[in-house]
Amino acid sequence: MEGVSYQRFPKIKIRTVRDDFMKFELRDTDASIANALRRVMIAEVPTIAIDLVEIEVNSSVLNDEFIAHRLGLIPLTSERAMSMRFSRDCDACDGDGQCEYCSVEFHLRAKCINDQTLDVTSKDLYSSDHTVVPVDFSDSSTGFDNAENRGIIIVKLRRGQELVLRAIARKGIGKDHAKWSPAATVTFMYEPEIYINEELMEGLTLEEKKEFVDSSPTKVFDINPNTHQVYVHDAEAYTYDDEVLKKAEAMGKPGLVEIHAKEDSFIFTVETTGGIKASQLFLNAIDVLKQKLDAVRLSSDTVEADEQFGELGAHMRGG
Amino acid sequence: MNAPDRYERFVVPEGVSKVSYERDTKIINAASFTIEREDHTIGNILRIRQLHRDENVLFAGYKLPHPLQYKILLRIHTTSQSSPMQAYNQAINDLDKELDHLKNEFEVELARHTGKQSRDY
Repeated sequence: MEGVSYQRFPKIKIRTVRDDFMKFELRDTDASIANALRRVMIAEVPTIAIDLVEIEVNSSVLNDEFIAHRLGLIPLTSERAMSMRFSRDCDACDGDGQCEYCSVEFHLRAKCINDQTLDVTSKDLYSSDHTVVPVDFSDSSTGFDNAENRGIIIVKLRRGQELVLRAIARKGIGKDHAKWSPAATVTFMYEPEIYINEELMEGLTLEEKKEFVDSSPTKVFDINPNTHQVYVHDAEAYTYDDEVLKKAEAMGKPGLVEIHAKEDSFIFTVETTGGIKASQLFLNAIDVLKQKLDAVRLSSDTVEADEQFGELGAHMRGG
Repeated sequence: MNAPDRYERFVVPEGVSKVSYERDTKIINAASFTIEREDHTIGNILRIRQLHRDENVLFAGYKLPHPLQYKILLRIHTTSQSSPMQAYNQAINDLDKELDHLKNEFEVELARHTGKQSRDY
């Protein structure tokens, strides 16, 4: 079909990337795209999580469904998820979800044999596939004592208690159940633009300037100790709370500062559960959104049906 | 207890088409699209795309009729220079290209960033 393109060309600038954290600027696009990406990252990028648990022996203090629920919430490494099949449309196993294309099997066997309480953790889960294992947080070098870190506790056993189970992990999306969400948090904010009216600002005493700077609940402004000039210390600390604007008004100096939200610039913060890398999460979100758009294209028979009926329509359109 | 199954949210039932198109009987160049199993993610990008960019679109809006009816209704009214179908297809094509561009941009930036990081060490 002919027609002018109204495409935009967004820009990206990455500020920080770590495996499970990323902060970047997204420019030259609109809030709908930013929000669609955020929504897709949270609820529609697939991961793998335990979905079916068969308990053989459970003499622990927690009941079977409680343990099954806890198992489901353990993040599993999910780089493979994008290429895996959903078990509902897997034809290799008639959708019972027990084949290598759509599922991964886990085994857990634990028994406490002495008076020391035994912690059953995610590290006691044995996977049938070495690419899909419980996420290991021990190498994240930030603060955790590596020797202490034994994974996520599932249940604690005392002498004589035992837990034996088989679990099937499947691919899924956060829309189905939050356990499949790869994102811990995904947020974006408009980039603020702050102008200080220097002329009005110079009319203030140092005392008043201090009062003004302190009126902001976050440290947005600061005073240069040498020149006593008020400057923008950190524009992004501004939470759009309007406190400084109210203060300026109260001091009888409306227009002392002007603050705008740049409506085509966004600052994104992405944190993942560790199942996939933050950078991969964003790339997967783009792919998923593209698939969704492809799925909502009009099928050719609706177009044909319209064209037949469209003799009149074409006439009305002036075609 | 009588809540619909969770998969109802994203599995299109058999015999139902993902997108259906219905021309308005009274107004020329107006039509509504019913998109099954989609929500604000798709609805909002299509609406903003059409409202904000295409000057041949006179009206574009979408609604989610009910939180338990997993579909959106998108209504488009265009000038005689265009048609709702054309505007709809144009919007999807533009968004598709925009996402391609975004992906490219991100990959380049990521390579640049990780390259810089490893040089710093």
